Amino acid sequence: MNVAQQLINGTILAAGYACVAIGWTVLLGAARLVNFAHGQLYMLGAFIAWSAMHRAGVSYLVSVPVAVLAMAALGVVLQLAMRRLMLEQNLTSLMIVTLGFGYVVQGAAARIFGGNPQTLVSPLEGAIVRFGEIWFSWQDVLIVGVTLVLFAALWVVLKHTRLGATVRAVAEDPKLAQLFGLNPALTSAGVFVFEAATVAFAATLVAPRSPILTSMGFDEVILTFVVVVLGGIGSVGGTLLASLGLGMFTAFFGALVSPAYTTAAAFAVVLTVLVLRPGGLSVG
Amino acid sequence: MTRTRRTAAARIVAGVIATIGAFYLPALAGGSAVAYATCATVAIFSVMAYGTDLVLSYLGEVSLGHTIFWAGGGYVTAFIATRLAWNGWLTALATVVLAVLLATAVGLATLRTREFVFSLVTYAAAVVLMEIALNWSFVGGSDGITGIPRLTLPFGLGTYAGGTSTELWPVALVLLLLTVGFIDRFRRSRLGLAALMVQMQPDLAMTLGLDTRRVRLMVFVLSAPVSALAGWLYAYQRAYVGPDMFESYFLVVMLTAAVLSGRRVLLGPVVGTAVILTQQNLMSVGGDGDKIILGAVLAGVLIFWPQGLIGLWHFARHAVARWLWASR
Repeated sequence: MNVAQQLINGTILAAGYACVAIGWTVLLGAARLVNFAHGQLYMLGAFIAWSAMHRAGVSYLVSVPVAVLAMAALGVVLQLAMRRLMLEQNLTSLMIVTLGFGYVVQGAAARIFGGNPQTLVSPLEGAIVRFGEIWFSWQDVLIVGVTLVLFAALWVVLKHTRLGATVRAVAEDPKLAQLFGLNPALTSAGVFVFEAATVAFAATLVAPRSPILTSMGFDEVILTFVVVVLGGIGSVGGTLLASLGLGMFTAFFGALVSPAYTTAAAFAVVLTVLVLRPGGLSVG
Repeated sequence: MTRTRRTAAARIVAGVIATIGAFYLPALAGGSAVAYATCATVAIFSVMAYGTDLVLSYLGEVSLGHTIFWAGGGYVTAFIATRLAWNGWLTALATVVLAVLLATAVGLATLRTREFVFSLVTYAAAVVLMEIALNWSFVGGSDGITGIPRLTLPFGLGTYAGGTSTELWPVALVLLLLTVGFIDRFRRSRLGLAALMVQMQPDLAMTLGLDTRRVRLMVFVLSAPVSALAGWLYAYQRAYVGPDMFESYFLVVMLTAAVLSGRRVLLGPVVGTAVILTQQNLMSVGGDGDKIILGAVLAGVLIFWPQGLIGLWHFARHAVARWLWASR
């Protein structure tokens, strides 16, 4: 095994997890809402970009904003449908509703895009960088770079702007935030749209690394969920750190022990952590 | 005769009539193999859904891990029936034992978790076990276990044996009746009341000295054999088990069946399962179309009509009563 190569693989995997997780972290922190359709939204974002490229014939660069805008619009629709449940803070029902949405999206995508595996082709995926035995693609560099920029931007917005203060206030105590003239319903709506848009963006970046299938759904992003919970709910830095840990674990476990049991092993670790520390790793 | 006694007697009479009616339902529906298969599957899936319903209705938590017990029951039955050729009673016993062990492990792991963390951990456990089932050649790997023999249930005098849905229908119905009886008993038990209080009034429950974690653990462990026994019969019905029993399809069916009629309705999961499977078996619009319908029903019920079918029934009854009153 080449340790340097696995370190690079781990970093790239970590960036992918973090990039897909970013919207979810904010959503969970600000609205305590689990979106079990996250995986299907990821799939749909990738397929919208794919069909923009293959059916409308636009370039990869154009397909990215198309997917992001389409998914943001879908986010608005989903948010409107869940408005009442969100105001009631009916978390159990919300969880089940998003599970239902995911199923609808999966069925609809299979009807529209067919059941065959497809590839979202990014021009950077084929551009390989080599240093002796070590290699990675420019797409990988892009994923790592964009993820870091996104997290830095999110951190600045949350900590140092009025918008960020609003989101944090609503996350802390929606009723109290309302007393101070903030609008929790509008804030969580915005956060939900942010989640849908960022997961689509993440899909256009990460999906070129492997074939896409309309049935990939929740299992494709289940590790992301792990990252979000392990990092501590709503913690931006924690999510990044948990991603790094999980990425390295996945890379090395896959290389050293068994690729087939990687997900199971990652979950076994997470189960252990959650049993010992139900609040995740970041909570003191 | 007191009022409660009369009500109890009326319930028993209604139950007996409903049971006899249900028994002849597939025969009345034409007696074809499809009618028997649909009815048997409705019964089996209802039992599966009751496990999730117990946790959802009485603990207020969404378990995404009940496919573990469903598949676990199927796997242990298939394994024992093919390798050791044990009869149906013994495979059922093994199913219950395995389910209780698995549920105790998962329940202890989730003892301190709530809401979405609980859902995540239960889901995570299911993912881990599915991957093990998929890769472990001991239990057949991705091929699963095929060639499960007919179900044999020896009684003192004779043996009931069955392999087809038509032959298994009476067993499925009895299993469903036992489950409904069990749930009814649970609802009136101390544990059932304690679970409701822990869910609705956690502070009061604590003040009264109820051990919240113990109640949650007990209800969770109790719910597992229910779904597992459904898997037990499903293994015989299909004569095959595989990692597909962990698929989210079963999870979505369980949850939809549990919420469609409204929560804490005794016969809710049966009605819900019957509606879902009738659509899929008799009015299917293709696998993907059925997915859209199932997901839309699940989301739609909770968004637009959270009281479920039972709420619709009350609404209709009151509307008729009002109309009759007005027309007098």
